[in-house]
Amino acid sequence: MTATEAAIEVRGLSKRFGATLAVDDLSFSVERGRIVGFLGPNGAGKTTTLRALLGLVRPTAGTATIEGRAYAELEDPTGTVGTVLDGGMFHPGRSGRNHLRAIALAAGVATSRVDELLELVDLGDAADRRAGGYSLGMRQRLGLAAALLGDPRVLVLDEPANGLDPQGIRWLRDLLRSLAAEGRAVLVSSHVLAEVAQTVDEVVVIHRGRSIEQAPIGELLARRAGGVRVVGPQVARLAELLRADGADVQGDGDGSIVVADRSGEQVGRVIADNAIHISELASAGQTLEEVFFELTSDDLPAATETESAA
Amino acid sequence: MSSAIRSELLKLRTTRTFLGIVIATLGLVALIAGAQAAADPFDAGATPGVDLLDVAGLAQPFALVLGILAVSTEFRHGTITPTLLTTPDRVRLMLAKLWAHGAAGVVLGVVAYGIAALLMAAILSARDISSGISAGDGLEMVLGGVACIALLAAIGVGVGAVVRNQVGAVIGGLAWMFMIEPLLAAIPNVGEWVEDYGIGGAITALSGSSFGGGADISQLAGGLLLVGYALLFAVAGVALLRRRDVSA
Repeated sequence: MTATEAAIEVRGLSKRFGATLAVDDLSFSVERGRIVGFLGPNGAGKTTTLRALLGLVRPTAGTATIEGRAYAELEDPTGTVGTVLDGGMFHPGRSGRNHLRAIALAAGVATSRVDELLELVDLGDAADRRAGGYSLGMRQRLGLAAALLGDPRVLVLDEPANGLDPQGIRWLRDLLRSLAAEGRAVLVSSHVLAEVAQTVDEVVVIHRGRSIEQAPIGELLARRAGGVRVVGPQVARLAELLRADGADVQGDGDGSIVVADRSGEQVGRVIADNAIHISELASAGQTLEEVFFELTSDDLPAATETESAA
Repeated sequence: MSSAIRSELLKLRTTRTFLGIVIATLGLVALIAGAQAAADPFDAGATPGVDLLDVAGLAQPFALVLGILAVSTEFRHGTITPTLLTTPDRVRLMLAKLWAHGAAGVVLGVVAYGIAALLMAAILSARDISSGISAGDGLEMVLGGVACIALLAAIGVGVGAVVRNQVGAVIGGLAWMFMIEPLLAAIPNVGEWVEDYGIGGAITALSGSSFGGGADISQLAGGLLLVGYALLFAVAGVALLRRRDVSA
């Protein structure tokens, strides 16, 4: 792999299941050393996209590659990509240790690595019990152990925080951070923005199979959550000035506006420079949930389209 | 390749289902061969040796089921996902499963025929009855029978890959063997062909079984025919595995 090549590259990916277009012309990439959050509500097409990337689902159109190759063409898949997918990945009658040993054997990984990982994910004591009796959190940790068996350079994790308790989520966050710090690329899906906001460097937001955003998390939060509300007799003039400057301004009929993509300081400077009278200036203060909900609400895709078309 | 086979062998022996099938098969063979050797009057003209060795053929449907479970269980429990992530090449995966289950079939067959042969030798000599079978014929029957069991396991692997629904595949496979083919064999004209060249006919020829009145084709032809069936299902299974979306 060359230094410039993305660890994960999805280009124009579409997948149709019968009448349903689960993934619609989706494109994004993940660079090495980055943690990218793959966000969208349930049913947005996240799992289908990840499965297409892993060669489990055949794309209707487009490509999804890892280090420039389709999954099936990787020389050492287990050593290249580690994966945790949602749902039952274990035979309930097989012990956690034997599950990992079967993967290690097929991948040509030393079985000593199995014990190492069982310790890492804190499953040492339960390793010889049948996996069917594991709690959801234990299953997730067994899945993570399987993903890390081959010491992969890329990690693809589908909702890995599901079923983890708060300590488990913190543990996962620290683990992902240290893996990315070692130069690995991590793509982690979630339907809860708040869950990954503290972990990820970037987010890709999809809704109804289409990409709505790919941006650094900080930028997204600043742009979407850092809105400023201004109330006063002359806000219509303020709105005019801000719009002339390219700002996203909403509402001005009733003496109040919301500026979506300017900080309070920036708006304050415009107000001072133009001697505009106002009665109130406050942060619109959206929570992470509100940001995510707004991004993925059914009304918004249309709004986003007009925005980008304008 | 060998790594994938070793992984399949580990998966095979680390569930209770496998142990259950092996115990059920061997227990049944021992019970029936023992009871028949001890109680059958064996009229003049009978070949007790052939009849008793034939009992080991009971392992055939069990081997078929074992093979069917190879792929259908992976779909049932979603383990097909980690399996394909580790071995993305469907052809390689299918070959590994064929080898592993074929080998399991060989072991199962050797032990089943071993049990039948031991019980036959011990009980017949105690009753002072001649087995009526030469060592050479006996060996031929055992070799054919073991090959037959291994090939049925391999056919099962293909069937399970084509029909991923586990219950459907098991019931369908057994129904074909014990009901549908015998029924087809009763149809005039077509029936004769089914009887000779169907899976049942090939099994009878290869295993040297006297069941069903003997075979019209040679043992070798029967063996090749079963290999052909195993290949047919394996190729169909691989083709479907490559085309299907795995979203379990």
